[in-house]
Amino acid sequence: MNLHLDMDLFEKLTLLSAAAKYDVACTSSGVDRQGSHKGMGNTIAPGICHSFSADGRCISLLKILFTNECIFNCAYCLNNRDSDVPRTSFTPEEICTITMEFYRRNYIEGLFLSSGILVSPDYTMELIYQTVYQLRTIHHFHGYIHVKAIPGADPYLVEKTGFLADRMSVNLELPTADSLKQLAPCKSRHTILKPMRQIQNRIADNKQELIVYHNSPKFVPAGQSTQMIIGATPENDFQIMSVAEGLYQKFHLKRVFYSAFVNVNDNSMLPALPGGPPLLREHRLYQADWLLRYYHFEVSELLSADRPDFNIFLDPKCDWALRHLEYFPVEINRASYQTLLRVPGIGYKSAERIVKARRRNTLTFEDLKKIGVVLKRALYFITCSGRMMYRTKLEENYICENLMRDKTQIPKDIRQGGYQQLSFFDKELQADFQLTDTQIIPPFQQISAQ
Amino acid sequence: MYIFICEDSIDGIFTGVYDAWASGYGHTNISLTTKIPENYSLFCEYITVETDYAKSAKVARTLQRRMGEETYSELCQAACALDYSGRRKTLDKADAIYKTIVLALSLSDSSKVLHYLGEPCVNRVFQLSRCMGNEAHHLLGFLRFQELANGVLLARIHPQNNVLAFLGEHFSDRLPLENFMIYDENRRLALLHPCGQDFFITDTEGLDLEALKHFSPEEMEYQKLWCRFFDSIAVEARVNPKLQNQNLPKRFQKDIVEFQRQNRI
Repeated sequence: MNLHLDMDLFEKLTLLSAAAKYDVACTSSGVDRQGSHKGMGNTIAPGICHSFSADGRCISLLKILFTNECIFNCAYCLNNRDSDVPRTSFTPEEICTITMEFYRRNYIEGLFLSSGILVSPDYTMELIYQTVYQLRTIHHFHGYIHVKAIPGADPYLVEKTGFLADRMSVNLELPTADSLKQLAPCKSRHTILKPMRQIQNRIADNKQELIVYHNSPKFVPAGQSTQMIIGATPENDFQIMSVAEGLYQKFHLKRVFYSAFVNVNDNSMLPALPGGPPLLREHRLYQADWLLRYYHFEVSELLSADRPDFNIFLDPKCDWALRHLEYFPVEINRASYQTLLRVPGIGYKSAERIVKARRRNTLTFEDLKKIGVVLKRALYFITCSGRMMYRTKLEENYICENLMRDKTQIPKDIRQGGYQQLSFFDKELQADFQLTDTQIIPPFQQISAQ
Repeated sequence: MYIFICEDSIDGIFTGVYDAWASGYGHTNISLTTKIPENYSLFCEYITVETDYAKSAKVARTLQRRMGEETYSELCQAACALDYSGRRKTLDKADAIYKTIVLALSLSDSSKVLHYLGEPCVNRVFQLSRCMGNEAHHLLGFLRFQELANGVLLARIHPQNNVLAFLGEHFSDRLPLENFMIYDENRRLALLHPCGQDFFITDTEGLDLEALKHFSPEEMEYQKLWCRFFDSIAVEARVNPKLQNQNLPKRFQKDIVEFQRQNRI
């Protein structure tokens, strides 16, 4: 391990932001807080994106590691103790200065502070706490702060930090305990879920306190999130989504993030990804995640042990609708809100608007278009005053064929795979596509291939 | 038909609403516009409305009382929006607002008026308000302050809609102890916020544009530092310029430090 103590701020920031970039969460949402007259900063519940980096992802927070030194040896991580990268650490003062000056210029919405494990989990958590403490009390910073709870750190330190941060997260890293054991031997399901449970319980208690004492300090007011790496281990979509559903239901998480695996270490335990990271698979998981959180879907409706992976050609909602044509068509002027939510092309906002608007007027297709319904998807599934928009058949193959003409459904490279000549319902072919696309080849096969 | 021509501002439109209502011609015989017509129509009488702040305040008070704060602020957002009705055959902004107000006051619960998107006037107000709201929300993030030599923070923007008041409220809550200025170069309006005071919006006649070009020495350092961060945070394996441009439209990029740099090279 080579230490660079005299590295200047430019290089430190370059290194420690590059080291943090595989953390997905960059949201600044979930909490409304007005500014105070003697400091700087406020937060708004929808969150604000300040920029978009070259990969098209939102930059909302100053996402950095406190240090990239680490005593753990997680195989997928660039900063594990065995990898040969320059090591450096910030000081709490440096982080405070950069955060305040960036915030003042409206570059960022706040700070996202994570860290490698320096010396011990407790030692690292204490450093994170010190930084956030200085930012809040010395610099009077009232913007958004997202910090990582370090697995294995003293619960007391996690609690202290939670009263200063807006959001906390503990990364689940991998969907199953077996994968975790294999790739991150220093972490265990227990050390990850323990702080998660602690934060959950403390948030619940804090809600009670706030009812009684309105001014009592808030604990992690924007809730907690987590992330999983997708495609590094052989789990299927059904397993991943079931884990996510469990986290939402049992741990009351605000968000679960999915991170398409990028092989940064060329580690032989991990799959090589000649086609790049499994971005389409990640995209489908996020779409399904939205269905769970906003559309009252359950994982068991979308996937099953027999059909464990998402259809790569259709989004999960269209896919569900095509398999349940018995519910359609739906009459816009009469259907319940819950029914409208299940129609492809109608989002939760449009559904809400439809329910309100039809109290006064009978809605037409023209109205729906103005309200924000995506008619090119919805038209196969709805009627307005008993009529469909065009003469269409309520038939799986017919609708599917038409939906696939929508270019936003599938990325170009797969579309150009010559789908017009081929049938998509050929099971074998579909499996083929999934293999090349998602790279869910189990690690042992990878090794034997070499 | 009586057509009231009013100024394109909240006060102008609200004065128009007041005058139109008070005229007693009957709501069906009245329409409002913010544009001086190029061709006058037959059988129409054109009435020019003088903006009167007392009248506008009366309208605002009534609307706030009857509609509630939320619906009222949506209506104000619509009034600040750019009216692109010239391009397509849609309802004029001022006319849509007037008809929405007439509808609202006829309802037993005026606060629900914006729910009725099946009504053309409400739909138009909804679209205008959404358009203005979206751009304003984008600018909350995409706006960049630069520190001038005298410590004042300056941001230049080129918005389509008149978003200054909306931005003013957000930034004066966020940066109460800063002297800052947001300059809308399309409208030549400036929003000024002196430390610890309320913000105000003013026109920029006699503004010393030269003084706005002298930045503090640290400013360039922090810009460089930010650009470093901006570059190193991107994941190479996922580079996707199309997605980047889709999320951050080109028209905003010219005012953003980290993109100006790329354009210069």
